[in-house]
Amino acid sequence: MTCVELQQSLAEVERGRSREQIAHLKTCAACADLVADLDLIIAAAGELQEADEPSPRVWNSIEIALRQEGLIRPQASGRGVHPPSFSLRWGWSRWLVPAAAMLLIAVGIHQRREAAALRPTEPVATVTPVSNPAGLNDADFIEEVAANSPAMRGEYEENLRRVNDYIRDAQGVVNENPNDVEAHRALMDAYQQKSMLFEMAMEHLQP
Amino acid sequence: MSAAGTANLTEPQQKRGAETSEAEAIELAKLGDAEAFRTLYDKHKRRVYSLCLRMTANTAEAEDLAQEAFLQLYRKIATFRGESAFSTWLHRLAVNVVLMHLRKKSLPVVSLEETTQTTEDDSPKKDFGTEDMSLAGSIDRLQLQRAVNDLPPGYRTIFVLHDVEGYEHNEIAKLVGCSVGNSKSQLHKARIKLRDLLKMNRTEKVVKSRAG
Repeated sequence: MTCVELQQSLAEVERGRSREQIAHLKTCAACADLVADLDLIIAAAGELQEADEPSPRVWNSIEIALRQEGLIRPQASGRGVHPPSFSLRWGWSRWLVPAAAMLLIAVGIHQRREAAALRPTEPVATVTPVSNPAGLNDADFIEEVAANSPAMRGEYEENLRRVNDYIRDAQGVVNENPNDVEAHRALMDAYQQKSMLFEMAMEHLQP
Repeated sequence: MSAAGTANLTEPQQKRGAETSEAEAIELAKLGDAEAFRTLYDKHKRRVYSLCLRMTANTAEAEDLAQEAFLQLYRKIATFRGESAFSTWLHRLAVNVVLMHLRKKSLPVVSLEETTQTTEDDSPKKDFGTEDMSLAGSIDRLQLQRAVNDLPPGYRTIFVLHDVEGYEHNEIAKLVGCSVGNSKSQLHKARIKLRDLLKMNRTEKVVKSRAG
């Protein structure tokens, strides 16, 4: 068996070594090195199978899509979202519901103005979004998450940063193109995502 | 079942426990339970994402593809009857998502070469006057990851599917639309190329450490 024949046989034979291969490898140091290296590569390859972890953004995007598509359904009693009349035990989350509601109201106002603006003679009004619902800001939201579930703080900070970037970019496009219907829809979508983030926080942080 | 609760169970019992938990999560997910979706995601995210990352060599694309694979799975979960393992179903779906993505980008899923013939030029070369830079002993996982990223897309696909993910050549041939012979040939060339990339990396490190 020549070196060329050995290499050809390596491509064909998947497991084990034939007698001819073993005989050649005993006499050829270069081929023996090659085979040893290839065996090392094959052994190391298996370690790559679960080598990496996706960022939290992946799950957040999946969850948002599942909710939007209605695949996540409201829970039965015992695991559901509680009404706004909280006891002291859930007092910390008393502002999350109005915060989410304020965002949705802002989106609703924006939708009505956009619908009115679709009449050709009237320009689309630019609505200043409600960025501080119920007088609270993003820092307060993160502080509440951190106080109740420190392990989730990083994840929510990152998600909030991303959704605020999305809102800022979408607002920029609307400012530049006040009559662009698609730009307004993108801004609505951005606010809806922020509202969903608050809703997710409510569900995740409930005892 | 808590970790403490499983301490006295045998390995098969623990495995059955985990399988039951997954089966429960699947049934709850069919009913729209958010935690069940999350449980299934946490159990399989690393395998799915690592597959996407190895095959695309791009973090952002891999995240998008992993997301798409899970979403497709969840949309179809009501049809899962348990005939095959859930992980197998998910994994095959993820592979198809990635391959479709590569085809859309007009990247060669598999090299067009059909030959399995090797020539004298492919035989191991003896470099006279240079230090032996065999890989013998160990391969650093990060270096291997980088080398896989540097493979041509066609080689990378076959190597990842066979050596990393464990698919057989007849399965790979069906997935990527090539012959079994081509799959074997591409795999061998991918491994040879990886060896060259890893050796080059080692040589560069030695040169740098001597210069510094």
